[in-house]
Amino acid sequence: MTDAGTTADAGRRPARWSAWWLPRGLHPGAWWLWALGLATAASHTTNPLPLALLVAVAALVVVRRRGDAPWALAFRMYVWLGVVIVAMRVVFRIVFGGGQGEHVLVRLPEIPLPEWAAGIRLFGPVAVEQILGGFYDGLRLATMLICLGAANALANPKRLLKAVPGALYAVGTAVVVALSVAPQLVESVLRVRRARRLRGATGRGVRALRGIALPVLADALDRSLALAAAMDSRGYGRTGAVPAGQRTITGGLVLGGLVGVCAGTYGLLDSAAPGYLGLPMLLAGLAAAVTGMLLAGRRVRRSRYRPDRWLPAELLVAGCGVAAAALTMLAGTVDPQLLYPPVSPLTWPQLTPLMLLAVGVAAAPAWLAPPPPVVRVHRPPVADPPVPVPTTTSPGDRS
Amino acid sequence: MSVLRVAPRTAVVLTLASAAALATFTWPFFVPAHPESTARTAEAPLVFLVMLPVLVALTLAELTSGGIDSKALAMLGVLAAVNAALRPLGAGTAGIETVFFLLVLAGRVFGPGFGFLLGSTSLFASALLTAGVGPWLPFQMLCASWIGLGAGLLPARLRGRAETAVLAGYGALAAYGYGLLMNLWFWPFSVGADTQLSYVAGAPVLENLHRLALFTAVTSTFGWDTGRAITTAVAIVLAGPAVLAALRRAARRAAFGAPVAFAAASDRPTELTAGVRRDGAAGAGAHRVQ
Repeated sequence: MTDAGTTADAGRRPARWSAWWLPRGLHPGAWWLWALGLATAASHTTNPLPLALLVAVAALVVVRRRGDAPWALAFRMYVWLGVVIVAMRVVFRIVFGGGQGEHVLVRLPEIPLPEWAAGIRLFGPVAVEQILGGFYDGLRLATMLICLGAANALANPKRLLKAVPGALYAVGTAVVVALSVAPQLVESVLRVRRARRLRGATGRGVRALRGIALPVLADALDRSLALAAAMDSRGYGRTGAVPAGQRTITGGLVLGGLVGVCAGTYGLLDSAAPGYLGLPMLLAGLAAAVTGMLLAGRRVRRSRYRPDRWLPAELLVAGCGVAAAALTMLAGTVDPQLLYPPVSPLTWPQLTPLMLLAVGVAAAPAWLAPPPPVVRVHRPPVADPPVPVPTTTSPGDRS
Repeated sequence: MSVLRVAPRTAVVLTLASAAALATFTWPFFVPAHPESTARTAEAPLVFLVMLPVLVALTLAELTSGGIDSKALAMLGVLAAVNAALRPLGAGTAGIETVFFLLVLAGRVFGPGFGFLLGSTSLFASALLTAGVGPWLPFQMLCASWIGLGAGLLPARLRGRAETAVLAGYGALAAYGYGLLMNLWFWPFSVGADTQLSYVAGAPVLENLHRLALFTAVTSTFGWDTGRAITTAVAIVLAGPAVLAALRRAARRAAFGAPVAFAAASDRPTELTAGVRRDGAAGAGAHRVQ
């Protein structure tokens, strides 16, 4: 890298190595690719050791690289959800399990249900194999979920919405409108309540709810008309002209692709269907339909304000996720028994170097990704926009 | 009235995508017994998990491909915001669900296409606001979209008490249907393979239905689903007429589908702008208000 090149590029993008550690938000797509790679890796094993390591990796990266936005706190919820899933699987095995397995831990009293309940019996002998099977399966699902939770905590959803393809531009705009209007509703509720108090209405319960909810709804609807006028006056909704031939092609691609998806789904579920009608047909149909959608999106012409770019850091983070998935799959082809530890002769799960390497690669973004832009002003965690709440109800104290 | 015109091609796309999407919910009934079949392996649910978001995106893109009116778009965003704000009111309290009520009423007033879009955008915005994006989100979006679509397809002529009664009944049914479909989706994931409540590959559909009914009854019918149906119906009966009136008033003021006439600038020399004039109820309504 020469100096001349750096200075020439300096206007458009940051100089490579000095700017690497500057705090900035990573492209949300990079975090999602990384997380999906981790989830794919988790889906290819039921061995609790690499699964636990993957959860730890996700937690480590989230703790080191999350910002201070509201969605960054979501990770804890996903962890709890994972715990619930594991617990649910184990409890279902205990209550409704068939009682397979040799090492019986405890014999619970059996409760046979009547005939209309398909002759199911509750409880009965509880075997170690049964519980372990439920635990392994549940842990795999929980790990995949926690990996997605990491993406939720790390990626900025608003910036992700900016990256939607052109065909989804209208829907993306509607969601952006919804996200920006939602906080205004709180302000609207407060305004209507203040107006009610000024008129001396002190009612509580259902009547007060109606007296508040309906004006707020009417206010929101009026606001939408004002917003539409503002969008019109700024030239929203201009579309490029599309020749009729291209319209036919995109329509044909979407329709043909969907027919392919339907046929592929049928072939996937019907064992008598020939093999090419299953997954290959499904994927081909999806590809055709998506191509049609992307082509149709080209008629939307828009400019972007400060678009997110794919810089080396983004590629590296996404690559770590993909590499972790690929390494796990490789480990699966080398030694499938270790990735799916058998339950029925009880064995202690083991780790292989390949699995450890996959986990290590997955953890690398905790150090390789640039730190998040965190505003170091200490705020109270609740009451995000501090809205002045009228505390007294006497109508005279506000002019 | 219908805010969003659903062209024949869009209707075909909607039907095909819905048929394929229904398979992503109901596949446990049709899984063959052969162990070598693709659908038996653990890959099948994952294939469907990847397939459904694409299908939802395709349908949404197709619905808006005719160029959605900016007024309809702003209305969509604002109603989705109201829905997303209503949703946390019920979360955590067993069975109190506040999303469907406005979805059904708005679908009724603004038509099936708008109802479909509103269902998806509401749940998506709500997931972003409360950070609940996960593999379940596309399935929830699609179910809610079907509810909005169905509300728009109810017979148009009904008015007054009969309308409220039909909407309340539809809301209750839709709430049960939503619960059943989401249970059906979650069923293979939550119980795992080897319990007496799990689906049996290759078994007759009736037997699997029986097992699903038991699973639903055990986990959610008496708490969540019934509570959801009751709250939706009661909310529609109590606030339905007033909300319908507010929505219809907004629809009349917005004058969706009013023809836009472009007049040459020389015709109206007093106007400074290029002479874009909107005829129809918008102008008339505005004058009447003044």
